[in-house]
Amino acid sequence: MVHAVLQQSVAGFYTDLVTRPTGRAVRENIERDLPAGTIAVMDFTGVGCLDYSCADEIVAKLVRDKVRVLLLRGLTDAHRDAIEPVLAGAGLAALCARPDGTLEGLGAREPAPALLEELVARHLAARNPGGSITLTAA
Amino acid sequence: MTRLVEVPAQFDDRSFDQFAAAYAQAADGERMLFDAHAAEWASPYGLVGLLAAGEAAVRRGGGERPLLTAPANPDVVSYWARAGFFREAGDLFEVHGKVPKTKPAAESEVLLPVTPVRAAEDVHAVVSTIQQRASAILSSELGLDPKATMGFAMALSESCQNIVEHAGTGGWVAVQAYNWRRKLARRVVVIAVADAGVGFRHSLEPTQAKRFGERWGDAAALEAAVIQGVSRFRDPGRGQGLAGIRRYLARWEGKIAIRSGTARIAIVPRWDDDVPLKDGLPAFPGSQVLLIIPEQGSGGSAKS
Repeated sequence: MVHAVLQQSVAGFYTDLVTRPTGRAVRENIERDLPAGTIAVMDFTGVGCLDYSCADEIVAKLVRDKVRVLLLRGLTDAHRDAIEPVLAGAGLAALCARPDGTLEGLGAREPAPALLEELVARHLAARNPGGSITLTAA
Repeated sequence: MTRLVEVPAQFDDRSFDQFAAAYAQAADGERMLFDAHAAEWASPYGLVGLLAAGEAAVRRGGGERPLLTAPANPDVVSYWARAGFFREAGDLFEVHGKVPKTKPAAESEVLLPVTPVRAAEDVHAVVSTIQQRASAILSSELGLDPKATMGFAMALSESCQNIVEHAGTGGWVAVQAYNWRRKLARRVVVIAVADAGVGFRHSLEPTQAKRFGERWGDAAALEAAVIQGVSRFRDPGRGQGLAGIRRYLARWEGKIAIRSGTARIAIVPRWDDDVPLKDGLPAFPGSQVLLIIPEQGSGGSAKS
C-alpha cells in the first residue's frame, strides 16, 4: 500500500522511499484518507530503499501525530534498519508483523506492549500459548 | 589579473587543503586558472571538490568562468572523462587542453560517475543507479553482506540530501571502488559529495551559535551536526541522516570525514590515523563529504 501511494506521489517512477520531500508527499497522501487516532496498516512490499529521512517523515510522523497504532508489514531488514532508530530516537514505537503473522514492537521499548495490548483488546490480534501475539485480522 | 590555483598531482582528501590554500588566496573579482596539467591522479573527492571550486570561482569572478587546464597525461585526462568530470566541468570552466569525448563510465570501478545533485529527484536517480551498479561489487568484491548494499544506498541518499536540504545550491556526488594501497592494501568503496554552498556553520548559525558562544565557528558547527546530531530545523525528527550514516559506517568499519569552511571532522576507524577534528584550515566554500567503506575481513591485497 505504501508502494502504491509512492507511485501516486512522486513525479517519476521510483521504488525507493528516499528524501524528505518524497516522504512528505507520501505521508500527506496517506493522511488524506486516514482519520486521526485510527489503527493503520502500512505494507512496504515493493519498496526498495528506505532512508532515514523518509522513515522519519512517513513512519515517525504518522506515529507521533496521526495514528493510534501503526502496524507495518512487508518490511525487509534494511527497512527495519531505517525505521527502528528513527522511532527509538523519538521515543516512539510501531508494530511489525512478521511473515508468519507474529507481531513485535519496533522502535522504543516502552510504548510497544501497550500497542500490542490494544490490538488484543480490539480482537485484531490474539495471544498464543507461547506468549507471542499474532495478528487475527488485517 | 588571473590567479593561478594549482591542482595537486595526487589530488585527494589529503592534498585538498593545499588546493584550498591556493584557492583562498584569490581575491574577489579575480579570475582563477585551475592548473591540473600535471595531475597524475584524482580521487572522487578531488574531482567533486574541483567542481565545487569552479562553481565558487564563477561567483567570486563576477560570473566569468574560471580557466582549467586539463591533465596533460592522456591516461589521466581519459580517466577524468570516464569518471564524468568533464561533462560537468564544461559548464563551470573554460577548459583548455585535449579532452577526449568519452562517455562517462561503464567500467566497474566507477560505480557512479560525477553526478550533479540539485533536487530530491536527483537523489532518487542516484540511489536507483547505485543499486543497479553497486550491489554485485559491494558483496562480491568488498565482502559486504548483500543486505549491506541497501544500507549503502541509504548512506549515499543521506549524504546527497545534505546538499539539497542545507547547501542552498547544487553539488556533485561520485562513487568509486578501488584498491587502496596507501592505508589498507584492500579494496574500498568511496563516496564523495561536494558543494560550494553555505556550509555547516552558516546553516546552523541561527539555531546553534548562541549555545556555543565564543566557541562558535566551522569546527563547532561540524561537531554539532556530526557528533550531536543537531539540525538547523526545529522538527524533532531532524538530524537523522548523519546519525544513520555513522551507524552504517560503524557496522562496516567505515570512515566519514566532512570538511566545511575552515574545519574538518572525521570519525576515524581503527585502520586509519586521521585527526578527528582540525580547525584553522584554509577557507573553502560549502561542504565536502568523504565516506570510505573498506573490504571486509583480512583478505585483499593491492592489485594496482
